[in-house]
Amino acid sequence: MAIFKRKDKMVATNEFDQVIVGTSLTKEAWKRLRKNKLAVLGGIIVIIYSLVAIFADFLPLYPYDEAIPDHKNLRPSLTRTAGDLMLEQEMKNLFFQAYRQGRLPVDEEEAAMIEDWVANNKTNDVWDFVYQRGMECIADGTFEWNSSEQRRIDRMLDDIETETQITINEVSVINEDGSRTNIEAMGYEELRDLYASLLGVDLTVLEESLYNEVRAAVSNQLRTNDSTLSGEDLDAAIELEMTGLGDEGIHDRAMTNLIGYIEQLAQRGANSDINAMIREGSMQFPYKGTFDLSNGLHVELEVTKMHERRYIFGTDYLGRDLLSRIIYGSQVSIAVGLIGTVTSILIGILVGSIAGYVGGKVDYYLMRFVDIMYGLPYMLLVIICMAIFGRKITNLYFALAIVSWLTIARMVRGQIMSLKNQEYVEAARSMGVSTFSIIMHHMIPNSLSIIIVYSTIRIPNFIMQESFLSFLGLGVQAPLASWGSLIGDAVSSMALYPYKLIIPSIIMVIFLFSMNFLGDGLRDAFDPQSKNQL
Amino acid sequence: MTKYIIKRLIGMIPTLFIIVTLSFFIVRIAPGGPFDGERALPEVVKRNIEAKYHLDEPLVVQYGRYLFDVLRGDLGPSYKYKDYDVNTLIAASLPNSIVLGTMAMIVALVFGISLGTLAAVRQNTILDYIPMILAAFGLSIPLFVFAPLLQQIFCMWLGWFPTTGWFMNGASLRTAVLPTIALSFAYYADIARLTRSSMVETLRSDYIRTARAKGMKNSTIVFKHAMKGAMLPIVSYLGPAFAGILTGSIVVEQVFLVPGLGKFFVQSSFNRDYTLIVGVVIVYSVILIVMNFIVDIVYAFLDPRISYK
Repeated sequence: MAIFKRKDKMVATNEFDQVIVGTSLTKEAWKRLRKNKLAVLGGIIVIIYSLVAIFADFLPLYPYDEAIPDHKNLRPSLTRTAGDLMLEQEMKNLFFQAYRQGRLPVDEEEAAMIEDWVANNKTNDVWDFVYQRGMECIADGTFEWNSSEQRRIDRMLDDIETETQITINEVSVINEDGSRTNIEAMGYEELRDLYASLLGVDLTVLEESLYNEVRAAVSNQLRTNDSTLSGEDLDAAIELEMTGLGDEGIHDRAMTNLIGYIEQLAQRGANSDINAMIREGSMQFPYKGTFDLSNGLHVELEVTKMHERRYIFGTDYLGRDLLSRIIYGSQVSIAVGLIGTVTSILIGILVGSIAGYVGGKVDYYLMRFVDIMYGLPYMLLVIICMAIFGRKITNLYFALAIVSWLTIARMVRGQIMSLKNQEYVEAARSMGVSTFSIIMHHMIPNSLSIIIVYSTIRIPNFIMQESFLSFLGLGVQAPLASWGSLIGDAVSSMALYPYKLIIPSIIMVIFLFSMNFLGDGLRDAFDPQSKNQL
Repeated sequence: MTKYIIKRLIGMIPTLFIIVTLSFFIVRIAPGGPFDGERALPEVVKRNIEAKYHLDEPLVVQYGRYLFDVLRGDLGPSYKYKDYDVNTLIAASLPNSIVLGTMAMIVALVFGISLGTLAAVRQNTILDYIPMILAAFGLSIPLFVFAPLLQQIFCMWLGWFPTTGWFMNGASLRTAVLPTIALSFAYYADIARLTRSSMVETLRSDYIRTARAKGMKNSTIVFKHAMKGAMLPIVSYLGPAFAGILTGSIVVEQVFLVPGLGKFFVQSSFNRDYTLIVGVVIVYSVILIVMNFIVDIVYAFLDPRISYK
């Protein structure tokens, strides 16, 4: 038996016995694409964005939903820490107060200028000016803080120096034989038993309270989804939901709570040691350490100085890191673009191929339906749907997908109609191949490359539509972010914090630019005849 | 031709009917109603209000009543803006939106066609690159990024334009400049690109070569002969462009605080002000459908190859 049987490749030769290497349409197209420098550049940028979005979880980012109240509205800075910026802002406020009290030496012209700025809401100019003037005056001794101001500054300096943040990396239980089990790897029952023994409470009491917590969470969720529920309706809905979750679902949710509680417990246990170390001054920041607690828990944690964080893109109005929000937002935006495109391709291929292949009355009515849908102000309908059915991300995908397949359907129909009369299709039909397999095996593969190319052009459209809805407050909901919601949040405070508007805008525009160049390049490469069409 | 127009006019009816029906039912099948405010109303009061607005009747009866009212041109009372009916609210805000949209469309057409033609005639020169780079920006910068940035740069930093006010309500005419530019930019981009590509193609066609061979002046060729043929794709683009300007104006009105229909629309969807939502959708749709109709007629006039059958 010949195991290494190889298919003899037919080698085409010309009359001089030279091997003819055929180039396929796709190969040719790739060659054309590679020559288009802008498209290649666009492609590289798109790949970088996608990689960053996909691997966001592995990047050293602050959590995108972690709000630190002290770090509200910090401006972006590469070199200065959050503490420096907090202090600067505090001093700006104090200098301005001092100016109002007439203690900051300014001449008449400057005072008039400041009043003019105040009248025109140019707060940043005022702050910058008084800060600069104040620092100069402190340096040459013409201005001094009064005692209460000095106290505030000192207290803030002290806070910046000492406030720490503890991040728990891992909690595990020390077994009798000295080995350790990570609590994340434990099942519901083990966790429940562990927590009960740590607290010294009865198992049934704990189980009941866990059950009630899950129930309360379900009830909250139902009420946010539908504010009209109350009384018996609400109870019935909760019961339904709880039954739907089943024991397993309830235990899953309870487990998340339990892990949180045990981590809290572990942190509290380690707190006294950490505080002692800070007081002694023996702690080097950032500190990484492990603690064996008296209750048999082993905890690995990290202690960092809270105000030593650096926000290169600044923070938002709740003190969340803008860099992290932009990156996690790009996950949402890019995912909407891809999922929307794939869905619209699928629906479009289905409708378009049926209309194109079957033809006749079916084609007529399907295409009239598409025409009517084209006439609808569909973005308005999407807005209504989002406002009324709730701003859930699945609704967003759904709303965008149901209105976006029209163009693809028309295109597929055209492609199929032109392929329908090709000889090989006729041959397949005469051999008795079913309509379904003709469509699936001959028509769709042959029109797929063009369909995919046109879909690439549509991706930026989806991203824009999603962002448009998020901008209006109808897209993703906080704490989730998308590019549009970041820009929408920033608009109301753009006079004071322009960076919040400008940074996400630039990030988004670069991506859209690259996507458009890549799409145009792909279209020119795969479908050269269309070069002069939009 | 008349037959064609009549056929198209009749064709508008099912579209409108679908829109009214769809929006009527979408807003009503969703959970929550216009009178579920923060604090719950007493049951009796709620029932009275619902009876007043006929909300206690079966949905089909409500629908029939609404259709009948709409046919008479009455869009019903607003549920949230007490003492106003939807007709009054729309009549007060629609002119602002229409003026804004028209100005934007005119600006986009004038600049798009002239710069696009310039780019086509002077291909691969600086006069080609600059309009096309501008158009590339217009394609990639979403309106809701562009509008706030314009406001930030020209109102806040440079202080050239007032930040609030609308010229139709007595403020200075300068308040109209930025909203118009913002709204028209994306359509300028599309129109300029379309004009350029279709102009390039037309200039290569046989009848232009014939004209050149006859020794005609270049300007005559471009403006008299090529322009008409090159305008066809732009006319057919106008339909989608109108739709885009309608939704775009929602953003622009929000950013520049223009008292137009768009702001009403978003607010009323949040408020579940049923009649106002459906009313605004109907008005928008009528505008859109009428515009599409006009575009088709113009297209048919311009292109004698199209049969009116």
